[in-house]
Amino acid sequence: MNLKQVYKLVLFAFLIPILSSCFEVVEEISMRNDGTGDVVLTINLSQSKTKVASVMLLDSVQGYKVPSKQKIQQELNEAVTYLKKSKGISNVKSTSDFNNYIATVSFSFKDVSDINNITRNILTQQKIKATNTSSYTFNKATKTFLRKYQPLNTAKTEFNKLKSKDKAVFNGATYTSIYRFESLVTSTSNPASNVSKSKKAVMLKSNIMDLINGKTNVSNQILLSK
Amino acid sequence: MKKIFIAISFLLLVKLNYAQDLVKKIPANAFTVATIKGDNVFKLMFVKDFNESFVGKKLLAETSKSLDKNFSSIEDFGINLEKNIYYFNQLSDSITYNCFLIPLKDAAKFENLISDKDKKIRTNGDIRTMVLPDSTSIIKWNNNMMYFVTGSIKSTFFADSAKSVKYGIKDIRYQNSYDVLTDSAVVAVDSAYTTTDAPIEITEMASIPPPYVSPQNTKTHKKTTKTKGVVKKSSKKKAVVKPKKKIKIIEETMAEEVYAVDSVADGNDKYDEYQKERAEQDLKKKQLAFVWMTAQADKIFNSSYESIESNKSYSASLDNKAIAEIWVASLQDVYNSISPELGTYGKSGLMKGYGSLSAKLFMDDKSFRISTGLELAKDQADAYKKIMNRKLNKKFLNYVNSDKAIGFMGYSIDTKAYLEEFPKLMKQTYGAFLGRNMEEEIELGTDLFSILLDEEAVSKVIKGDALFVINGLNTKDVTYTSYEYDDDYNQKEVTKTKKETLPDFLFMFSSEDNRLMNKLIKYGINKNYVTANNNIYKIEAKKSPIDIYFMIKDGIVFLGNSLTEMKSINDKTFKSGITKTHKTLLAKNNFSFLFNAKNLVGKVPTEEIGGEETAKKFNETLGKMGNVYMKSNPIKGNLVSADISAEIPNGHENALKYLFTLIENAAK
Repeated sequence: MNLKQVYKLVLFAFLIPILSSCFEVVEEISMRNDGTGDVVLTINLSQSKTKVASVMLLDSVQGYKVPSKQKIQQELNEAVTYLKKSKGISNVKSTSDFNNYIATVSFSFKDVSDINNITRNILTQQKIKATNTSSYTFNKATKTFLRKYQPLNTAKTEFNKLKSKDKAVFNGATYTSIYRFESLVTSTSNPASNVSKSKKAVMLKSNIMDLINGKTNVSNQILLSK
Repeated sequence: MKKIFIAISFLLLVKLNYAQDLVKKIPANAFTVATIKGDNVFKLMFVKDFNESFVGKKLLAETSKSLDKNFSSIEDFGINLEKNIYYFNQLSDSITYNCFLIPLKDAAKFENLISDKDKKIRTNGDIRTMVLPDSTSIIKWNNNMMYFVTGSIKSTFFADSAKSVKYGIKDIRYQNSYDVLTDSAVVAVDSAYTTTDAPIEITEMASIPPPYVSPQNTKTHKKTTKTKGVVKKSSKKKAVVKPKKKIKIIEETMAEEVYAVDSVADGNDKYDEYQKERAEQDLKKKQLAFVWMTAQADKIFNSSYESIESNKSYSASLDNKAIAEIWVASLQDVYNSISPELGTYGKSGLMKGYGSLSAKLFMDDKSFRISTGLELAKDQADAYKKIMNRKLNKKFLNYVNSDKAIGFMGYSIDTKAYLEEFPKLMKQTYGAFLGRNMEEEIELGTDLFSILLDEEAVSKVIKGDALFVINGLNTKDVTYTSYEYDDDYNQKEVTKTKKETLPDFLFMFSSEDNRLMNKLIKYGINKNYVTANNNIYKIEAKKSPIDIYFMIKDGIVFLGNSLTEMKSINDKTFKSGITKTHKTLLAKNNFSFLFNAKNLVGKVPTEEIGGEETAKKFNETLGKMGNVYMKSNPIKGNLVSADISAEIPNGHENALKYLFTLIENAAK
């Protein structure tokens, strides 16, 4: 029995059956009045870093193949390359921290609707059926920022097909969206969202579980002062 | 008093019944024998309790529904529940029989299970026969027992044209030049069949009989011959020609199929012709299987023969306390019997040295236990005896704390013997797989292995005994990165701490010669892979989610993730406390394993399991589990054996009743 096998024994016996992990997904969009802006996407798994590090030592867990560090880095690089080539997108950067398991991707856009195309294209490229209809629009004239999100029923059905063990992975996961503006926010349509003291930012926090189940909706129509 | 008397006479009856145990009906050449011991089962659970259990109710309700009758007890099925129920199979090159022998208490009750019984049952003396609708199985019974047989013809046998022609069967392949094949074959078939009543047919059948048609049993033979003749006529002329009593059944069930086959024959299309021919051949095979099955079933009822009881390996495998048993004649034979079907990959000789396999299930007021055994050839057994000739280092036991231990696994082998015997065992088991011509090369490889390895030296570094133990869980603080937002929702990275519960594991193995180990440590320190703190070393692996420490003390190499535990071992303050049971389990066996779920209940914080609901379920499941043990037994004679047992939780009368509760809970 070598060291790795000892490890595996411990991991299988104790960590895997209780594989509920906390992770955060943060989406920040800073909109300028001229319609351009910046995006920062963050996935932070550091709360579960022991578990993630354990899982990374295994080849597969609960029937899913565990990607290697190299594979994850490669996928991230591919995403960056793709973004760089995309219409209206510039200043693409990514960071990855494999000690704390945090990854970010940031870029600037000419028009917020450029993001919509990216998501759609990436999904088609990966042959993933869209699980929601999500879009961003900014109307310069009316100074209205619109985030549309409509969970598809198929997503919920697919999710419910997962074993409860697999579902548990999403138990403590949260999704945070922050939209920043140059002008003051006059109104928001989503009651779950909060407006900052300076009135220049809107934040919405949600459980990923509720999002999948359709319990919370992150759609929002934000009106800015003219 | 009266009750006691009844009970005693009942017990005596059971004993008397033993004399007529159906095992006598199992032929000596049976390949697999499985037994369910009715008396032992119903000692744990009375018939009344069974009827009232969830499983019993369900069974009775379903049977009542499907047969449109009203059953209130499993005794209504007419089965003698105090006797053993047997399954066995017999293999030959041409046919495989799967058979059940079920003791009957009340044949009339059993017959009640058959709808339209007057039409289906043929009676001959006190023996009654029923053929299942597609003629693939036969049920035969008298007042004491019921016999069920189903046979399947081996296609590989009939692929050999020399053999198949004797039975008037052709191997047909569409790819072959169809016309030629048909012509030549038809001649053969006809020649065989036109001589239906001639004695030559009898000798032909007798010359290559299935293994269970005894040549002395002329009665059976006569029947067989006649059967063939009639079947042939029916398939050729489509007419029912005065069938003999016994054969009528086949006629009726098969006439339709024959008709269907003929109707397809129109047209000159080769494919249709092929299909037709194929169907005819399949029908012939089916008829042949039926003839053989009939003969086999007749033999069970009408003749005396040597029974499986005369097989020493079988009788040695029995244990009268077991609830159920299964015995397989020989692993080597299993392999050889399937090897023709594996084609060129199947080379005989693989699995050489592995004999019969047996498993027994026990249930009592404390636990479930499965005991398995494998017979080895003498050479093999001797090799294993040498390998197993080591006991676990007694000092290991000082580092087990039974009160906290969630589990452990210990094993001990003699490294030197293992390294010496391993190449021989490999050669014996897999030598044939590599082919006959490779023997010299294997020999060479084995020798080379011995030269390269100094078995003696290796066995000093790793003696061959090891113990892995989890002495409980430990909570430690872990830091992680999260975000906070100011009034303007600007993100700020912050470091937070949380508690994480991890098992404390300790792995130890004996080592006499530490020179190599010390060199490795020195190398590790120089390369910064290892840091030292007194006698305790820490492995500096960034990838590792947990800290790993190790040390060498008193001829033992310790490896673990708890610094506290390591320190206490180092300064001899480790609090041990091993129970006698655990001590015996570890010290007496070459391999042992224990999982004590109870020591885990409530130890993992709810938030780490993933919410209250999951935690509750998790703890409930663990709480219901008793200790689970596994152990290997010492080799007795040529028998290697191992036991797995699971204790039942308190509050349950016995394991069988507990099993029923589990099934009921699972079904809810």
